[in-house]
Formats: sequence, C-alpha cells, structure tokens
Amino acid sequence: MRKNAFFAGLLALILVLAGCGGSGGNDGNDGKSSGNGGSSGEKVKISVWAMGDEAKSLPTIAEEFMKEHPNIVVDVQALPWSNAHDKLLTAVASKGGPDVVQMGTTWMAEFANAGALKDLTPYIDQYPEFAPDQFYEGAVGTTKFGDKIYGIPWYTETRFLYYRSDLLAEAGYPEAPKTWDELRDAAKKLADRGKDKYGLSIDMNEQSLTFMFARQNGSALLGEDGKPLFNQPEFKEAVEYLKGFFDDGSAPLDLGLDTVQAFAGEGIVPMFISGPWMINAIQSQAPDLEGKWAVAPLPAKENNLSVLGGSNLAVFEYTKHPEEALAFIQYMSKKETQMKWNELTKSLPANIAAWDAPLLKEDPKYQAIQEQLRHSEHMPMIVQWEKIAQTYLDSFERIVRANADIQAELDAFNAKAEQILSE
Amino acid sequence: MKMFTTRSAPYFFIAPALILLFLFSLLPILIALLISFTDMDLAGLADYANIHFVGLANYTKILRDGSFLKAIGNTLFYVVFGVPFVILFSLAIALLINFGKSRVFDIFRAAFYMPSVTNVVAVAVVWSYLYNPSLGLFNTVLNFFGLPDVRWLQDPVTAKISLIILALWRAIGLNMLIFLAAIKGIPKSYYEAAQLDGAGTWKQIRHITVPLLRFAIFFVSVTTLIGWLQFFEEPFVMTDGGPLEGTMSVALFVYKNGFQFSEFGYAAAGSFILFFAIITLTLLQFRLQRKED
Repeated sequence: MRKNAFFAGLLALILVLAGCGGSGGNDGNDGKSSGNGGSSGEKVKISVWAMGDEAKSLPTIAEEFMKEHPNIVVDVQALPWSNAHDKLLTAVASKGGPDVVQMGTTWMAEFANAGALKDLTPYIDQYPEFAPDQFYEGAVGTTKFGDKIYGIPWYTETRFLYYRSDLLAEAGYPEAPKTWDELRDAAKKLADRGKDKYGLSIDMNEQSLTFMFARQNGSALLGEDGKPLFNQPEFKEAVEYLKGFFDDGSAPLDLGLDTVQAFAGEGIVPMFISGPWMINAIQSQAPDLEGKWAVAPLPAKENNLSVLGGSNLAVFEYTKHPEEALAFIQYMSKKETQMKWNELTKSLPANIAAWDAPLLKEDPKYQAIQEQLRHSEHMPMIVQWEKIAQTYLDSFERIVRANADIQAELDAFNAKAEQILSE
Repeated sequence: MKMFTTRSAPYFFIAPALILLFLFSLLPILIALLISFTDMDLAGLADYANIHFVGLANYTKILRDGSFLKAIGNTLFYVVFGVPFVILFSLAIALLINFGKSRVFDIFRAAFYMPSVTNVVAVAVVWSYLYNPSLGLFNTVLNFFGLPDVRWLQDPVTAKISLIILALWRAIGLNMLIFLAAIKGIPKSYYEAAQLDGAGTWKQIRHITVPLLRFAIFFVSVTTLIGWLQFFEEPFVMTDGGPLEGTMSVALFVYKNGFQFSEFGYAAAGSFILFFAIITLTLLQFRLQRKED
C-alpha cells in the first residue's frame, strides 16, 4: 500500500515530464491548421531551416511565395552556421524537424547517407525548374550522392583571388598573376616591401585549400578505385608550393589580423583567396578602398580549378508535406527568384540564366567570378571527406609549423585517409 | 493511514530531484555506455538498424589514437598546473580580503567574483584580443618594456599556459567565496586565545586558519580537479584545440568526434575513459582525506 502510493506519485511525475517532451517535439511538423474560411481550403504550414545571413533575407522571398501559393504558410527558421550541424543531428535523431532544409554542399553526403534527405530523383522530370542543365555543372554535382539526387542547387560559391590592384601595379603586376610562378613571384615582391609586409594570405584552417592547389597541379585526389593519392608527386608538389610561401616570409603565420584589416590601408597582406562573401565585407568595412582592389580567377598550373561550394535546398525525409516543400524549392530555383535573391544577399545564383541580371552582367568583379565558376569543382562527395580534410589540416600544420618532412607526413596522412575510407 | 502519509512524505519531496537526476544524468550515462560498444554514427541515428555492436573495438582503437593520447597528456598538464594554482590563489585572495576592514574590500570581493559570472564567449573575445600577436595588449606592454613578443596562442606549450591563466582568472572568484565563507565560520575566540599567547598574524594563519579550512580546501580541490579534468570551454572558444593539437583536451576531443565527425560510438568510448579517470581520481582524493583524519 505504502509502496503503491510512492510509485503512483513517481508515475504521475514521469507522465508529466513525458507529456512536456512530447508536445515540445511536435511543433515544427504540426502542419495543418484550420482553414481561413475562404475557398482556399486547408492551409498547410511548412517550416524551412536556413543558415547564416541568408536566413535573414529569406522571409522576404517567402512572403512573395505565399502570395502565389495562398494555401501554404512558410515558417522560416534561422540557424547560425556554427550550431546548425548540431541542430540537424537533433532533428535526425528525433525524426522531426523541418520540411525544407538548406544544406551546405559539404554536408550533402553525410545527411544523404544517413537517409535524412528525401530522394528527389523521381521529381526531376516533373518540375521543369529542376532540370539539371540550367544550373552550373559543378553545382549539380553537389546534389548527387551515389546515383541519386538529394537536393536542388540554390546558390553557389567558388574561391578566387582578391588583390590590391594598386600595390600589385607598383610591384610590376598591372594585371593579376596568371600562373603559379607569377603568384609566387608577386607574393615575394610584395613581401619585400619591408618589415611586417607580406604577399599572400594562406589560411591554415581552410580545409579545401591544399586540395584545390593539388587539383590545379593535376592530382585527382582519389583514384579511380577510390584509393587516396595524397602521397603522390602531384599532391606533394602542391604542398611544397604552399609551404614555400611561409618559408620565405611571403605568407604570414599567426598574424592575428582580420582579413579585411590586413588587406586595407597599407596592405599588410595584399592578396588572399576566398569566396564571394568577402566582397560585401570589404565594401562595408573598407569603403575607401574602392578602386584599389579587384578580383581575378585563380592563377593556373595545369589548370586553375577552384572549389565549388554553396548551398542546396533539400526536402527532409520525415516531412509530411513533400508536395508543398517541393513547390517552395521550385519557386526558389526560378530565374526571377534567383535574380531577386542575388540582389538581396549578393550570393551567386546557381541558375545560369539568372546571371543575365544587370547587377552581375555589368560588374567586372562578377564577370571574373563567373569565369572562375566555369572552372570549379566540388570536393569529393563522400561521407568521410570532412574527417579526411580535418585530418589533413593537422598534417599541414605539422609541415608548416613543425617543419615535418613533407613526404613522410603525407605518407602518414595517406595511410590514415585509407583507413578512414575503409571504415 | 495518517502514519502512511507522514512516512511517505519525504519520498514525494525528493522524488522530483531523483527523477530529474535519473532522466537527465543517470539514464544518459547508461545510454552513452551502451553506445560506446557500437559503431553508431549519423546513419545509425536516422535508422537504428544501421547500428552494430562492435564490442571493445572503440576502446582499443581510441587508446592507440595519437590525438587522444595527446589530449590526455594536455589534460594532465592542465590539471597538474591548474588545480594547485586555483587553490593557492583563491585561498590567498580570500585571506587578504578577510584582513581588510575597509568597505573597499567589498568592491574587491565583487571584482574578483565578476569573471565567474561573465559569459565565457564574451570572455574569450576579450582575451583573444589581449593575446592577439599583432594588436594584443600583452605584447604591446612587453614591447614597451623592450621585451620580445610572446606567441601566446601560437606555440603548443605557451598556448596551454595561456589557457590556464585564463581559466585561473575565471575560477578564482567562486572558490574565493567558498574560502571566505569558511573563514568567517572560524570562531573568533581561537584567534583571541592565540593573540594572548603572543602568536603573530602569520602563525595564526598557519596554525588556526589553514587547519580549520581543511574541509573547505578538500571540497575545493575535489570540485576543481573534476572541473579541470573536463577542461573544455577555454580551448573550445579560444583555440579549437590547436596549434598542433597543443591545447586539445579530452573533453574537446570527445566533442569533436561526436559532433563534428558524428562518430558517436567512438566519442562515447572517449567520454567513458574520462569518466573512469575522474571517478578513480576523486575516490583517491577521498581515500587520502580519510587517512589524514
């Protein structure tokens, strides 16, 4: 009897707690609310998860989408990039979460492999907006995992060279360096301007940088059989090339300055490689620099392949409203929406036709970027890539900071990569 | 019936705490233990059919993982230098503040406590500027006196020390308060008796204050040791484990493997090794304390 009362109390408390958990987990998906009384019938609510600065502008576009689709309510949730990955893990674990989700291209493989994204292959033919040939080939590549398609390209990104045109002209480069040798030489000349001056910034935490240079040197990164080729001469030469910048002081190590800070003013570091987001950053943080800087496609060795990134839109596997989710993605990939989106956020449209927008057409910067986009490839779409790239950064750090033997370090890295791939 | 209600009343009162403890502490620990014997990853999270039992494979692998061993080494470094310094500094500051009779010392007390209540991310932003190699205050001051730059966060060993300094600064406040409270609890008559016997201030501290603070010191050393074994926030926000994994702690290693690489099984194995290390060291401390008594 006594015991019973005790357990009854316990049970009641557990139920209360469980009740809280249950109702909390439901909200994103609790789609249907009663109609607004009009003829449009039931309204469907879809939730869209977007990350970073884009998410702040997305509600504007969502408004317009809702005008066209009065029976769909779009709820945009903004996640900061830094904890978006954690948040998505939770969504996968709870099998709830959004209907439409923005997927950074580097996450596609991981989440597609986990079965968290809906296979969109059957829909590609149904929606003319999804036809692969209207997007950049590289961007379409990021939507594929295995032989299936899990996303629709939204906006794209590529890496290119930012440089101080005034300082390079003084150093004898009226145009941006076009080859590896020219880049090396220009960086050295700029570094020779004096103490605490450098030529090119090489970001030690940038996962894809060395892989990009290795591709330019003709490395395939992974062989036909999927075996890593990181200790081969093509890859090793790229590492040696990058390390050379640190060895003769052309590239700063631990400068502690923000990219724009170092780029502006007297130009402590007058060249760096980065993506389109830095255009906005330079224009807003160093407006007086206008006219003294430019962007250019990367210098070439065998080729000048850059890294293609960006974001796709995907449908979450656990959605209850796939049709409405697809309608939203359809709207987002239309040429007009993509142009509007570029105006709002300055991100690069994945839709090729949207590049006809005057804003892009008349700006020499964007013309240079488009040129680079045609020579851009995404990193290998395999689940283990993140881990491999992260492991590489440790090796690269040992090579640059601790002067580890390059061949030995790359042999070790290659062995680790083989092991990671075999798991 | 009446007796029954009075006898079961305590259970009702402690039930909420027990249930919360069970749901949010014991149950997760148990689940983590199970996960550490599996190859659970993101695919396993999405569909439990993808989870396989792998026995002790995670444990044998992690103990051969160079990064993990390095993380253990770093964590020991943090503990060996961090724990004694925290105790020493917070005790010293508590004693000094206790000496003060003026109201100014209330302000000091608040000032020393402030870092404990400040958000760690805000702290990290400010300290990153202090440690900044080109613009930082510390290097500017050093240069002013004609001393060379220090690579605060760029050299593997210096970076560890820099993080210890930061953590020390954050940890002193709370422990100082604990010591202050304990000091106030020592009866005045002991000191009066000692003064009559002609004992000076230093002798009073050595023979009255410190011995009577034994329990407070024990408490602080246990909580501090556990805290430093789980050292996470400082390297997470300041260095992300670098340079050359020089500041990687075991807790950060677990976090990175779990949430960056989604290798939950592997991360859980790491967290259990940490768990047992903490339990063993804490039991050891209790054993030593009992011997002294």
